[in-house]
Amino acid sequence: MKTAGLKASLTSGTARFLAGRMLGLAVVLLVASFLVYGLLYLVPGGPMAFLLGNRTGTPEQIAAIRSQYRLDDPFLVRYAGWLGDALTGDLGRSLVYRQDVTDLLAARATTTLFLVVYSATLIIVGGLVAGTVGALRGGRTDTLISGVSSLLLATPPFVIGVILVIVFARGLGWFPVFGAGDGLGDRLHHLTLPAVTLAAGSAAYLARITRACVQDELGREHVETAHSRGLSPARIIRRHVLRNAAVPVTTVVGLTVAGLLAGAVVVENVFALDGIGSLFVRAIMQRDFAVVQAVVLVLVASFVLINLIVDLLYHALDPRMAR
Amino acid sequence: MNTIARDEHRGPAGAPRRRLVRATALALALGLAVSACGGSSGSGNEPKAGAQLDLKTATPKGTKPLDSITWNLPYEPQGIDPITSFNYAENTVLANLCESLQRLTPDFEIEPGLASKAENPTPTTWVYTIRDKVTFWDGTPLTAEDVAASLKRHLDPAQGTWWGDYFRHVKTVEATGPLQVTVTLKQPDALFNQAMATAAGAVTQKAHTTRAGKDIGTPEQGVICTGPFKFDKWRSGDSLTIVRNEHYWNPSLAALSKSITFRFIADETTAVNALRSGEIDGQYFYLPPAALGQLQQSPTGKVTLGRSLAYWALLGATKEGPYGDPKVRSALSMALDRAALGSAVFQGAAAPERAMAGPAYWGYEKDTFKAAYDKLPTGRTDLEQAEKLLADAPKGTITIGVQGSSAVHEQTGNLIKATGEKLGLKIDIRVVPVEQYGNLYNDPKAREGIDAFLSTWYGNVPDPLDAYTVFLAGGNNNFSGFGAVDADIKRARAASDPAERARIVTGIQQKVAEDVTWMPLNNLPVILYMNDRITGAVPSFPYLYYPWASGLGGK
Repeated sequence: MKTAGLKASLTSGTARFLAGRMLGLAVVLLVASFLVYGLLYLVPGGPMAFLLGNRTGTPEQIAAIRSQYRLDDPFLVRYAGWLGDALTGDLGRSLVYRQDVTDLLAARATTTLFLVVYSATLIIVGGLVAGTVGALRGGRTDTLISGVSSLLLATPPFVIGVILVIVFARGLGWFPVFGAGDGLGDRLHHLTLPAVTLAAGSAAYLARITRACVQDELGREHVETAHSRGLSPARIIRRHVLRNAAVPVTTVVGLTVAGLLAGAVVVENVFALDGIGSLFVRAIMQRDFAVVQAVVLVLVASFVLINLIVDLLYHALDPRMAR
Repeated sequence: MNTIARDEHRGPAGAPRRRLVRATALALALGLAVSACGGSSGSGNEPKAGAQLDLKTATPKGTKPLDSITWNLPYEPQGIDPITSFNYAENTVLANLCESLQRLTPDFEIEPGLASKAENPTPTTWVYTIRDKVTFWDGTPLTAEDVAASLKRHLDPAQGTWWGDYFRHVKTVEATGPLQVTVTLKQPDALFNQAMATAAGAVTQKAHTTRAGKDIGTPEQGVICTGPFKFDKWRSGDSLTIVRNEHYWNPSLAALSKSITFRFIADETTAVNALRSGEIDGQYFYLPPAALGQLQQSPTGKVTLGRSLAYWALLGATKEGPYGDPKVRSALSMALDRAALGSAVFQGAAAPERAMAGPAYWGYEKDTFKAAYDKLPTGRTDLEQAEKLLADAPKGTITIGVQGSSAVHEQTGNLIKATGEKLGLKIDIRVVPVEQYGNLYNDPKAREGIDAFLSTWYGNVPDPLDAYTVFLAGGNNNFSGFGAVDADIKRARAASDPAERARIVTGIQQKVAEDVTWMPLNNLPVILYMNDRITGAVPSFPYLYYPWASGLGGK
């Protein structure tokens, strides 16, 4: 009886928690879209320069283009129009590419998603293993891992990318210089260097955090107590050390993975990948309103969703924290 | 209101994208890449005497067909609808797909294209006889209806053509027979028929164009034309593939190789790496990449410089202040060392230029144009005479706009500033961010406080008149409101007799050169790179309108 009641309250708590977060997500998206639309509007250099090019069109031609793209409508009218369309799933049409924004995004989402998942895997596996091993083994292994992670943290991603290209693509010829590839195997082959570039700094950071947390836990009273009670070291590490270290590490993982979306912008440009990041950069330059707006929404939504997942993980790791 | 000419900054995506990345990310890495790869960017790269550049119009034809060729574009095309295709990437692709009524050859001649005959029975009438037995890719025959519909699209403002200037004098376009189209002009226009050799005269299938509506030229809809290659597929963001048209009507231009896949690497360093590693077979560059030396020394391929209609110039934008005085402009022009610009800024890949329309433009009356051209000031450094000119010129500061994050812009700006200092002219360089630079062309407010700005520019057809049409009074690109040649330009456009037109045009050229409204600096050749696997691409400027890839194949 008692346990069932607890379970029920837990589930309804989770549901309420989820509903609250979803509402929050909607508000964040709305505010973000308004800000982005407004800022794009204020920045000098309208889309006309790109729509017109160097053509010296007659005033009538220019007027026709302006009305075609509704460039003369006041800001709020355009924003409201966009919002209405967006709610029905129509993200508008790119000024520059004359295609539907959803088509543009769909074509590029796979590459970015693949890249981010690949990098996240490298970060999580590499960072956790290196950090844990460093903390548990100590000595020279620890020094080596710390040294390498310091170096990786200090090097900007694009430098890492260029070095990787010079050594592994141009030098040894193991990997392609650019492009995202087709099919799973080919994609893995093409995206290895970009994913490593994107992951290196974050993996090093995660390794440091993990090492610190694990070391912290190793020195805790309950761990020493467990030792004195004669529990096997493997069991202590698993049950007491790693489990407790997992909470701060999860936070870091969540934040870094969310940050990968932003980091992908640079990497996609360096490796000429057809991702959302490179589309985003171009769209900003060209004041391609609808595209910028859509990409920002995708980025903000992913960020909030990843944070939500982190919170749910907390919940699973330590139910007390979900309140 | 005039010549359609364009400029690399507007490269809708290309330049901004490339430069942003280079500025924010690769500045450091570039140096690193150069030293690590043994490519010598500095001392080993011998500056060539600009004037003696060996500019080609052909490369050896391919001898064996290849199944697939990979080519890089400087950025992803915005679409491949001919009426809005008006820039490097778009036209590089489209030139192989869609044919025009006339054809601009690699040697800058105009010959019949889809029209076997172009007659001019009255000064305001053009009658085109459409070639018989030409079919679109889907097998349907080419008719006068298709041609008329294609040209009429330029007359509808809602379609947003980029070629409107060539159609400004067109009154009607009509199919006057199964294979005959008649164009009636409001007044005679010597440029109209020549423009039919560019994408302005490209013919698309009427049925498909109607069906596709606003989606024509997008990755989903593509186009249907008659060219030696067919549109195959376009994966947005990734690649665009064209394949050989097996039923092409013209054996002399039939495609040798089976398919070409275009990639869109905008980042220069990545593009150069991909070219050197052989992952990409070739590319055209419109400004020399920073790593041109690396390409020239590539063990796996070769750079060819081609004849071009493009040039590098300082565009005057004011009537006021010291730069509003023609004497100041002349003095600066006289003192500028264009050969130094060519070797230092353009890495030896740009010869000094003394006119807005150099020899490549002379499609008729070559002798007349040559004689006039040879008399123009050479722009060789003549400090003494320049100083004399400045003796009683107004004093003050001249502000020159250059595009941020562009090495070519900033280095040229510095050289102009240094030259000015030698003459006692105070020159301020104003760096305009790349994303705002385009506004200088359309927005007078953006030009406030800027006396002149740097730009690449080009005309489209082999007629110097095309280049000088920018100076029509009230024209959007007549930034300084230069009015001395307006009447002459109108007269020249109406002059159907080539000799008479050449006479008027050389007069315009003289006035423009004396005024130095626009200061031409260097001719910008086409820079073509092909790796050793392939040969046969057209290296000269008409590659934007001529099926340059037809002869492309294995060695």
